[in-house]
Amino acid sequence: MYKLTKFIKLGSLTLVGVLGVWLLRPPVDEAAVRKTEHGEKPADVRFNILFSPGWAYLPGSTPFGIGTPLKGLTGAIAEFEARFPDTHIEVVNTPGVREYLVTQLSSGRAPDIINVNVEDVWIDVQKGWYVALDPWLDEPNRFIREQGDPTQPGYDHWWDMFRYQAISRGKAAPDGLMYNLSYDMIETGIFYNKRIFEKVGVRVPANWEEFFAVMEKLQAAGYMPLLMSVDMFSDWGVDLVFDQLYYNLLPGIDLFKDPIREPYLQGYLDWDEICFLHDRGFFTRDDPRYVELWQHLRRLRKYVNKNLISTDLVREFVIKRAAMAWYASPLVYRLEADRALGFEWGVFYVPQFTATTSRFTSNTPMCVIGGAATQFEVTNSAFKDTGDPKTSPRLRRVMEFLQFLCVPEYYVRIVNEYPCLISNIVGVQSLPPLKPFAEILDRRYTTTKWVFTFDLRFSEIQRRMLELYLNDGIGLEGFLDWQERNLAAACANVVLRKGIDEARLRAAWDAQSAARAMMMELPDGAG
Amino acid sequence: MAQARNLLFNHRLRFALTCYAFVLPTVMLLAVFVYLPVIWAFTKSLYEFEIGGDSRWVGLRNYVEFLTQDPTTFPSIANMLFLTFFAVAMRLTIPLIVAKLIYSLPEERGRHFYRIMFLIPIVVPGVAIQLIWLGLVYADAGLVNETLAALGLDAWQRGWLSDPNTALAAMAMIGFPFIGGIDVLIYYAGLASIPQSVHEAAWLEGCVRLSKFFRIDIPMVMSQLKLILILTIIGGVQSFEGVFIVTRGGPGFKTTVPGLWMYFNAFSFQRMGYACAIGVSLFIVIFGLTLLNLKYFKSAEQLEGR
Repeated sequence: MYKLTKFIKLGSLTLVGVLGVWLLRPPVDEAAVRKTEHGEKPADVRFNILFSPGWAYLPGSTPFGIGTPLKGLTGAIAEFEARFPDTHIEVVNTPGVREYLVTQLSSGRAPDIINVNVEDVWIDVQKGWYVALDPWLDEPNRFIREQGDPTQPGYDHWWDMFRYQAISRGKAAPDGLMYNLSYDMIETGIFYNKRIFEKVGVRVPANWEEFFAVMEKLQAAGYMPLLMSVDMFSDWGVDLVFDQLYYNLLPGIDLFKDPIREPYLQGYLDWDEICFLHDRGFFTRDDPRYVELWQHLRRLRKYVNKNLISTDLVREFVIKRAAMAWYASPLVYRLEADRALGFEWGVFYVPQFTATTSRFTSNTPMCVIGGAATQFEVTNSAFKDTGDPKTSPRLRRVMEFLQFLCVPEYYVRIVNEYPCLISNIVGVQSLPPLKPFAEILDRRYTTTKWVFTFDLRFSEIQRRMLELYLNDGIGLEGFLDWQERNLAAACANVVLRKGIDEARLRAAWDAQSAARAMMMELPDGAG
Repeated sequence: MAQARNLLFNHRLRFALTCYAFVLPTVMLLAVFVYLPVIWAFTKSLYEFEIGGDSRWVGLRNYVEFLTQDPTTFPSIANMLFLTFFAVAMRLTIPLIVAKLIYSLPEERGRHFYRIMFLIPIVVPGVAIQLIWLGLVYADAGLVNETLAALGLDAWQRGWLSDPNTALAAMAMIGFPFIGGIDVLIYYAGLASIPQSVHEAAWLEGCVRLSKFFRIDIPMVMSQLKLILILTIIGGVQSFEGVFIVTRGGPGFKTTVPGLWMYFNAFSFQRMGYACAIGVSLFIVIFGLTLLNLKYFKSAEQLEGR
């Protein structure tokens, strides 16, 4: 009897367990199945290329958990493999973080093609971990050349295929070489809830002061006016406000005109210029513009979510607690695809300063701070067959694969599979919902990118101390003290690593003294 | 006779060698994966060194910088001490009280049920717990702020992890009420191992309830307390993953701990030598604290003179 009871108990438990597993079985992911079938490595393959495409196009993944799994890249890879039967492209998903890069690259085991912010790469370029793409970009795109139309971009130079030349070429490393392919673009904008705007009776602001008036009304009506994270403050916020305050100084402080990049970047301040200017009192507490920069951000803090590090910005916007969210173009897909969203939304760009905002205002529209989203870098694994990039057939095949991915007929299937990122290939239009962002990208590029100009230590400390300052944990004086030491250390580090052409900068500095004489309230050392 | 002795000696020698042979692979693995990295770290702490780059001998400069020049050192050590002592206070008291309550239940079935209930949270990964607190408890519209709003205490709402005045305390409170996990079971095992005769003697002496808890139970679970104390201190000094996930050490350096700064220096800032110096310094701290603990914190057996 005891044995029977025990048997029934065990049997019931087993049955419940099996039933539970059956009920909770995951749905069949057809794209993943296709990927697995496709992912089998042929026996006679000569080049097995590991490709980490990043989050936006990972085959089988479902962006924001909405819609069908992605398959655009899978199709392009299949066609490439059909064209080159000795090549197998293995898609891998790798973390785009520095910890991963450092360990994998130092051991020569990284994927052949990775997708990380190229600024994370610059600091290691002298170690031979990455392949400079310049010679390849200057060559024709093989597949465009084969099509036989000399008028097509890419026929003479692969470079010509890229639409946003300023941003793409602006990604050159401090050593002047290009280590990444700017495959597509991302731009930020302020998403706003039209229903809340109507209810509160506010309109899209035309300038910075109107922007604050709108936020004041939204806050009074019980809404969170604007959603932002501390990273957005430290990256986007700093760059935009800096540009508003410094743009009209460029004739006196832009010391180096890169013959290649100047037509696109229009006065961009590079790291060596910033170091030189810093030595002369710029970007210190003696520089009233620099002091004001942080005060403008502090003023903005009042209208932003309380928790700057962990607030789920998308959720807060979607559930209508917040009226605006400063976010990037991928949010378009999230909002478009959500059938239960329940409100109309729009996008506008951060409005410019006025004379009321600051006596230093440059009176120019806000610049572009976005840029390359998917950034492909070719690693030292790509030439492991010969150990020399100049003689490696494997590296050539890797480059051919990247060229293939840029051919419009394949590119459109990958980048325009869903509205997320903006096309960077001439002849491929972005999807209509991304039009506002494509228009923003046509603006002038930023005066500098603070977060990406120096080493990661600089960015980390700026972000931390800015968060502390924005949350009243430290006064402006204390913050400036940290920031000055931070910038001094970053300049010392970059000068130590790269060296600085002081004589050339000094000559340009002297030549531009007349222009500076016309400018008001420059630091004492700027004479 | 001599032959018999030789035989015995040979037998003992062979036995000893066999034992050593069995232990050897483990010792070798330990040496390769534990001791060698420690020696390597100590050596590299004397260099300016970055992965894939050149090394340059700098002697004790990294240590001097860490102890005298780095403005983050003492704030981060203070944060570490706060978090560690808070964890020690929580882990030495609350799970012990819960274990005692469970142990005091009259029926084994009830005791069994509660033991399982308190053990189940072990299966939830620490990272998941931290993310839950980050996204659901401390968020703008999280549990804490919404509860305050419901109570009409809107003015008390804040960004708990962004506010410099509350960030460290909010970090320490992650895991509240500190009862889920292995601690309760360890204390329970300690309480269960107290001989019945001791309970009876205490009862005869009139030592009951709180008096018995403090005079009998706590001294008798001193071994368990000591174990938890050592593990908590070591964990507190070493760990940084919680802070990394939740606040990344901010705002400012309000929640930074030395382990986190070591990590940033090693993998983000390209200063592996400096990171090694921080690591070695932490090792010395842990080693010292453990020695102090072993010397001054007597276990039940030592108290009994065994």
